[in-house]
Amino acid sequence: MPVLDEVPASQSQAKKREKRKLALDMTAYLSPIIIIVVVFVFAPLAIILFFSFLKSGPYGEIIYTFTFENVGAMLGGGYGKIFLQSVYLAFQTNFLCILFGYPIAYYITRFGGKWKTLWIFMIIVPSWSSYLIRLYALKTLVGTKGTINSLLINLGIISEPIQILYTNFAVTMALVFAWLPFMILPIYAALEGLDRSVLEAATDLGATPFRRFFRVTLPLTRGGLLAGSILVFIPTVGEWLVPSIFGGSKIMMAGSLVAHKFTAVGNIPQGSSLAIMLAATLILILYLTIKWGGREALEKAL
Amino acid sequence: MKKKRTASKILWVLSILTLIFLWAPMILIIVFSFSNNKYGSSWEGFTLKWYLKLFTNDQVRDALMRSLIIAGVTVVIATLIGTITAYGLYKLNFKGKQFLRTSILLPIVFPSVVTGSALLVFFTRFLHIPLGYPSIIIAHIVFCSPLAVFIILGRMQRFDWSWEEAALDLGATPFRTFLRVTGPQLLPAIMASAMLIFPWSFDDFVITYFVAGVGSTTLPIYVFSQLRFGATPVINTIGTLFVSVTMLGLLLVYLMQKRTKTGS
Repeated sequence: MPVLDEVPASQSQAKKREKRKLALDMTAYLSPIIIIVVVFVFAPLAIILFFSFLKSGPYGEIIYTFTFENVGAMLGGGYGKIFLQSVYLAFQTNFLCILFGYPIAYYITRFGGKWKTLWIFMIIVPSWSSYLIRLYALKTLVGTKGTINSLLINLGIISEPIQILYTNFAVTMALVFAWLPFMILPIYAALEGLDRSVLEAATDLGATPFRRFFRVTLPLTRGGLLAGSILVFIPTVGEWLVPSIFGGSKIMMAGSLVAHKFTAVGNIPQGSSLAIMLAATLILILYLTIKWGGREALEKAL
Repeated sequence: MKKKRTASKILWVLSILTLIFLWAPMILIIVFSFSNNKYGSSWEGFTLKWYLKLFTNDQVRDALMRSLIIAGVTVVIATLIGTITAYGLYKLNFKGKQFLRTSILLPIVFPSVVTGSALLVFFTRFLHIPLGYPSIIIAHIVFCSPLAVFIILGRMQRFDWSWEEAALDLGATPFRTFLRVTGPQLLPAIMASAMLIFPWSFDDFVITYFVAGVGSTTLPIYVFSQLRFGATPVINTIGTLFVSVTMLGLLLVYLMQKRTKTGS
């Protein structure tokens, strides 16, 4: 039966043609991004991974001998502590952002009324303004010669300026100041998307407002909290500017350590090993986020 | 009913306090940009001299021009790459797609210090690209394109694709279809990504600082260098202009959205 024999042949040919078309389409559409990812993300990471096993000479030159010195310094020395402190500060910032962000998001949703757009506008503007300028502005307010101190001195309340800069409090405040808008907006979006009838049902069934909030509203806005946490937690772990402006040399975070090794000390192998550690920490966090919250949550957050 | 009102009042107070926390520093530097005080940290009478100084400052003008050029080139290239990548990711199904998507996320979620230092080492020790415009623009494209991909991909998922199918069914070539049907439909998404990427590129300090080398001062790098020498009122004026431009831009977007909503 020659006719039947021909069918599979033409089918496989069609399949082949389809495959070739897919390959062609992929090259056409995806080659630029693949080049970016492979050449400018993976390759640089591979290179600093390689450098992290090398040594630095007395003049900042690289000595090409294989050593575990940098890895050892990280696990044994104070660097590990700084990494833990960064993760801790990120957790703390995230928690405080939820604590301060949730009430305002809730207020705007429920009672914003005709001012809703203005409220949201006032939160979006800081999130879009230059990050560096905002930190500078905060420093103007709380610095040793800053507005708060000079005001208090002029009023005769204090005689010596209060040391706010270079304390744990200053770093925490600056982190919350920088990232709070990115927590408020996703929570607001989640609250807006809430089905009001569910809340009414809870009230009708006799839930107290308190109970209703913790058993209905909060669980239903988990998506927004997760999105906000991704936007706040991940960049905070690798923060450099906040600790360098508000922590000075007293409070270091992982990001400032990496920057310090590269820009001030010029020890590329040590800086590389710290950068690899930081990247690994972030990949771990990313993995946990995708596992718990799903990839959609992550991509939606962006 | 009364209980509800007190609850809303407490929430109002909390919200206003949060808003003050977010805005007080910004308002302060806006006010001080008009103050006579030469350290820019207290009020000593109204003046416009810092603005005059800003506009006649060659360093600031150079830095601003450099930042605008970098952000302009980055927006065009990153949006272009973002558009075709998003289209490819949406339309094609292949092995390793999830892996590719996760890899594209990496430059967005990596700390800037990691991206910056890795690129610096890569440029100086491996590729031997001169630091300056080439290295800065490549670095900006690297961290902006992924953002464009996900912004545009997000909008593509809420899209009516039947127009494209109709065009193809009626015999238009894929290229012509993209140019005449899909492209114009995608235009709002492309604009949105460009509007987001421009400030990202323009404001970026950390990555740029690593790969800029000597002499390529962008505006954020200029601001940072001034911070080291101690604050000057000129930074207050730059800050004021930054916030004003952001507000104007957002207002424009809002009005445009409102018009298209009422128009259709």
